[in-house]
Amino acid sequence: MTLSALDIFDPSSYPTRRDEEWKYSDLSRVLREAPKKPLVVRTLSELDSEPDGFVYFSADEAGFDGLQAAADHAMQKGHGRLYIDGNDFGDEDGYLGYQGHGEINVAAGQALVVFEDYTGAFDYAVHSHLRFKLGDGAKLTRVVILDEPETAVSVRQSTVETAPDSVFKQYVFSTGAKFQRFETHVRHAGHGAIVEMNGAYLVKDKRHFDLTTRVSHGEINGVTDQTIKGLVKDSATAVFQGRIIVEKGADGTDARMRHQALILNDGAHIRAKPELEIYADDVQCAHGNTIGALDEDAMFFAMSRGIPEEAARAMLTHAFVLPVADAIEDDVLRETVLNFLENVSEDFYAV
Amino acid sequence: MLSIKDLSVAVDAKQILKGLSLDVPAGEVHAIMGPNGAGKSTLGYALAGRPNYQIKSGSVTFNGEDLFEKDVHERAAAGLYLSFQYPLEIPGVPALTFLRTALNAQKKLRGEDEISAPDFLKRVRELAKTLKIDMDMLKRPLNVGFSGGEKKRMEVLQMALLEPKFLILDETDSGLDIDALKVVSDGVNALRAPDRGMLVITHYQRLLDHIKPDRVHVLVAGRIVRSGGPELALELEAHGYDQYLGEAA
Repeated sequence: MTLSALDIFDPSSYPTRRDEEWKYSDLSRVLREAPKKPLVVRTLSELDSEPDGFVYFSADEAGFDGLQAAADHAMQKGHGRLYIDGNDFGDEDGYLGYQGHGEINVAAGQALVVFEDYTGAFDYAVHSHLRFKLGDGAKLTRVVILDEPETAVSVRQSTVETAPDSVFKQYVFSTGAKFQRFETHVRHAGHGAIVEMNGAYLVKDKRHFDLTTRVSHGEINGVTDQTIKGLVKDSATAVFQGRIIVEKGADGTDARMRHQALILNDGAHIRAKPELEIYADDVQCAHGNTIGALDEDAMFFAMSRGIPEEAARAMLTHAFVLPVADAIEDDVLRETVLNFLENVSEDFYAV
Repeated sequence: MLSIKDLSVAVDAKQILKGLSLDVPAGEVHAIMGPNGAGKSTLGYALAGRPNYQIKSGSVTFNGEDLFEKDVHERAAAGLYLSFQYPLEIPGVPALTFLRTALNAQKKLRGEDEISAPDFLKRVRELAKTLKIDMDMLKRPLNVGFSGGEKKRMEVLQMALLEPKFLILDETDSGLDIDALKVVSDGVNALRAPDRGMLVITHYQRLLDHIKPDRVHVLVAGRIVRSGGPELALELEAHGYDQYLGEAA
């Protein structure tokens, strides 16, 4: 199915397990009927500036109208940083539904850093679709924190169109939800364009997180680099579907994908499907997928230096996902994400 | 200081140490030499408390206390330090963070005050200078991407910082060139003290030219088959272990 085909208010549009790309994340099973539409019509927020140089955009209840204006405002103000704050509040009696679409164009030569922070409470079902378009030499960095409640159903999709010499970097950090899918489709323009699709997930209890990415190389000399790290525990499920397609003629493509995850106890699941589809000849592609337990030798080493077992486990578990956050260039966002991971990983200490 | 009596250890149901006895008094440096597979590294791991190393029989007292009553980290806090033949890489944990966490964890267990950040950095800076370790390296994840020599220098830095009462050096000379061997040996020698014991596990005489032992023990097939003064190491270098292999079998 195409990304725009899903309508959260129309159950006949829900993908099922019969749809190969939704095999491990069955929306129709979680959301048996259409969620209720909220009664209150939201008002557009004023554009505001945060002290750290971010232009603030409220995207509560999946409201993305005016997103382009906010992005333009951010780029014109010189800081080039946009903070999209999405709060979704549901009901305690059946799902409240929210659905929204937004678009951001980053013109040739311009740079934008987007921080998306999604959180909420109670029962809600949200579907959003963002479209990003980059001009020649444009640079877009997207840092996303998905901090949603265990009662939420959340499908957040985005499509990205790059251009020659443009740079698109995505960093996604998630704790999952009752059902959560974060899906990104990138059209890679090649010709020196660089795409990075990174992320880390820490999923516990009965939560479900699905990270699906697709990068299609249609032109020569494109670079894609993907590092995804994950932790699951309790009876949580994580799904990683990463697909890189190198079309015929896309010679000189350099694509690398890594997915590394730790299962912290029996009963937690990871379904990983890394795929490289290569139809061109002269390419460099690699993918690695490792799922296992914490390195017991490293544990012993740390303990032999005096660190108690629980602290050693905490330190090594926390350290496992940190490199993804460390790679964020923006100082404020890197610190924000590190703090988020610090708080979240405390729950992952004990086995 | 360290007293091992009739120690038998199995790893994965295979008996490796078969009734090993050894006493290392405070202030002395003892060397354990032996062929591959004799159980040299097993001894170090068993003393440090590595999981899956099963103590079948025997006892070890360390400063009068039963060593096997203690967890791995408690042995460290009590002053036992095992320097690994192959120090582990710890991705995502900067060396400085690891060192401070370890030092304060030990201090906490001993009921001492934790070291402050400025005092810690001052101390590390001094040690790093002596051991020719770049401070930038200490900001990187511990041992990740370090050369063999750099890892061993990090091991020495850790022992100097943690100030253990007893050092077990497992093949500390492996992977070191001549210059690195000198830096590492000087670092170890600086830690020789009347109240500190050392057990130096090695294949070769080479390391013992730099770290001079008081006693040398020959470990073959899980047992000490001979003990002597420093001259025993030279004799082994000249004649090899062959003469003992028959005896042990």
